[in-house]
Amino acid sequence: MSDREFAGKTAIVGIGGSDFARLYRTPDPERTGEALATEAIAAAIADAGLEKSQIDGLITGGLPHYEPVAYRTGLTDVRFVVDYPGAGRMCAMALMHAATAVHHGLADYVVLFNSVVFRSQGVKFGAQGQGLLYDTIYGMASPGAQYSMGFTRYQAEYGGTEEQLGAIPVAIRSHARMTPGAIMQQEMTIDDYLASRYIAEPLRLFDYCLVNDGAVAYVVTTAERARDLAHPPVLIAGTAGRANFREWYVDLGFWDEACRSMKADLFDPLGVNTADIDCLQVYDNFSVSVLWGLEGFGFAPKGQGLEWVQNGRIALGGELPVNTSGGMLSESYLQGWNQHAEAVRQLRGQAGERQIPDCDWSLYWCLSALPGASLLCRDGLL
Amino acid sequence: MSSDAAYAKPLPTVTHEDREFWAAAREYRFVLPKCHACGHVWFPPYASCPACLSFDRGWTQASGRGTVWGFTIMRQPYIPSFEPELPYNVVLVELEEGPMVYSNLIGIDNDDIACGLPVEAVFEDATDEITLIKFRPV
Repeated sequence: MSDREFAGKTAIVGIGGSDFARLYRTPDPERTGEALATEAIAAAIADAGLEKSQIDGLITGGLPHYEPVAYRTGLTDVRFVVDYPGAGRMCAMALMHAATAVHHGLADYVVLFNSVVFRSQGVKFGAQGQGLLYDTIYGMASPGAQYSMGFTRYQAEYGGTEEQLGAIPVAIRSHARMTPGAIMQQEMTIDDYLASRYIAEPLRLFDYCLVNDGAVAYVVTTAERARDLAHPPVLIAGTAGRANFREWYVDLGFWDEACRSMKADLFDPLGVNTADIDCLQVYDNFSVSVLWGLEGFGFAPKGQGLEWVQNGRIALGGELPVNTSGGMLSESYLQGWNQHAEAVRQLRGQAGERQIPDCDWSLYWCLSALPGASLLCRDGLL
Repeated sequence: MSSDAAYAKPLPTVTHEDREFWAAAREYRFVLPKCHACGHVWFPPYASCPACLSFDRGWTQASGRGTVWGFTIMRQPYIPSFEPELPYNVVLVELEEGPMVYSNLIGIDNDDIACGLPVEAVFEDATDEITLIKFRPV
């Protein structure tokens, strides 16, 4: 949803999340998503400067059921509840839902979160049953193998090398090293990247996101209410989705149409263009997702994205920093939710040594079976 | 290729939706669902047509020809029974009739696989009931 009337009428006013690195170091079979969510919710409400009793909307993500976490958090006066069982690619959709709910008065303050216990529960993202195209009988397993097929096709159409692709995870790793709580803190050079093992060739270990535990929560309300709260409001300028559901997951045009459609929905009503965007906080499930989004949204010329990302262009200090807290490749696989939390920090001016000067606009995209996108900005720009 | 009673790799779970597809494969025929209402050809064999939602489904003989859209070389032992074959290829084949199918390419070194390669279907008996459709370069 992204029309001129709606743009900027709602805001993210609170963020809270886990210490991902600590959880990563201490896997625990007794850890629950409900407990992680509760911690994140409490932090988000406190960050907003709200009382728990003011929360009257709840959007849950990543848990089997909404009730256990509602009991734990003692929410007693809730008017609006939505349950996203798997909230990964749903981040922009959940934000869209929260924003429309508060905009139309279905609730005043919505808490939304995503909570996952992948590492402690030994979740594997491969060989998950037969697959719609009889995947496993051919040994086809894991989303990464699907993105890998997309990359061999991309290389056939446009060229480009694995070394060039490595610039993406290397830049994102450099950001994680500046982020408290980010899981991957070791320096990674392009040689380290190239020395990492293939998982589904031509994609390597470091082209893949992490698999970890954690939760991230936000509080969303109207911009009007937001201006009375603890921090400068971060406005929701728009959200968008564009799915072309296909069993083989990776779009045959590298999501070019989806990106152009979502860009038009987000940018056109506001007169915003790519030059206005100060940072990208995007769904880096695999390094190639970043590449395809850069081209699809028109930041990089079509087919030239691999050249475009070289020489620090997407690192902090470069022209367009990407995933400034380390994204899912190096901070935490919270499935788009840690990216929006970082966008909020950047737009509030609270990103510490990672702070982008005069950061006004942050764009998110997720290129998956269900592409989604969102545009956030500082107050006063809409 | 003869069937092997000890076939250890995953096999399809045959249902009412795809029983005819696998029965045809057993006879070394590659068939695809075709809509009697609108003529659309699709895969996998859902009972209804994804283009017009008609349940009036028939079958058409596929040419077995297609081209490699993309490929990957699997290096990680996600599926234990495939571990002895690592590294092995998986390809996404664009069939002449339009549908996309996953398969394996045989009769070619992994290093020689390329997008756009013309391929044709070959049949490999896995068990007495199941014959897999794979591809080889034309």
